[in-house]
Amino acid sequence: MGEHHSNRAEWIYIGVVISLLAYVGAEAWNVERIVEHAPAEAEVIKVTGQQWFWTFERADGTKEVGELHVKKGQPYKFEITAKDVNHSFNIHDYVVLQDAIVGRINTVWFAPDKAGEYTIQCREYCGLLHYNMRATLYVEE
Amino acid sequence: MVRTFALLSILTVLVVLPTLQLVFAAESVTPGEYVQRKVEIWNLFFKMMTIAFTVGAVVSGTLIWLIWRFRESNPKAKPTKYEEKGEW
Repeated sequence: MGEHHSNRAEWIYIGVVISLLAYVGAEAWNVERIVEHAPAEAEVIKVTGQQWFWTFERADGTKEVGELHVKKGQPYKFEITAKDVNHSFNIHDYVVLQDAIVGRINTVWFAPDKAGEYTIQCREYCGLLHYNMRATLYVEE
Repeated sequence: MVRTFALLSILTVLVVLPTLQLVFAAESVTPGEYVQRKVEIWNLFFKMMTIAFTVGAVVSGTLIWLIWRFRESNPKAKPTKYEEKGEW
């Protein structure tokens, strides 16, 4: 090492790395917080996955099997569980994806913004008919 | 040491404060309008990929330059003082 050795480049490098990491961490944490925070007025729908179909139950006790009717612009909070083996609840078009685990309730919320028919599917291999464990989401005006 | 510590402290404050501000910033969400997971998640992905590719380009660019500049056959290459003395 020379007598006039300078560490400036290293410090700048460390500073840049720390800043980038702080920014990336904060940004990701913030988006996660926004995405996970369900609005208070969200309607709760209990979702149960079992080989090989989905059951949806509303607060008033009404049930739907293999299809779910919701209203456009209204937020919904899914409380997801499974009866036999692990499944995964997925509405691809609304980027809703949450594991359905036996003995556990996982939650995820969304607010559909376009009327139409969408596919609900299982995203965790759950046995022979996993590929056909589908339901239809009807978003009504 | 003291100078380094002072510099680091300043840097920390400069990084942490805007980060906190960003994270706890009040959101202007009008009632009845909800965030769309698709949009939020895609935006995050896009930002992260932009950062990742930029950092990747800078790091690999630096490495390529370093290897090219300090290769033995570079006309500008000169031996280290140990090599000059034949101590290596």
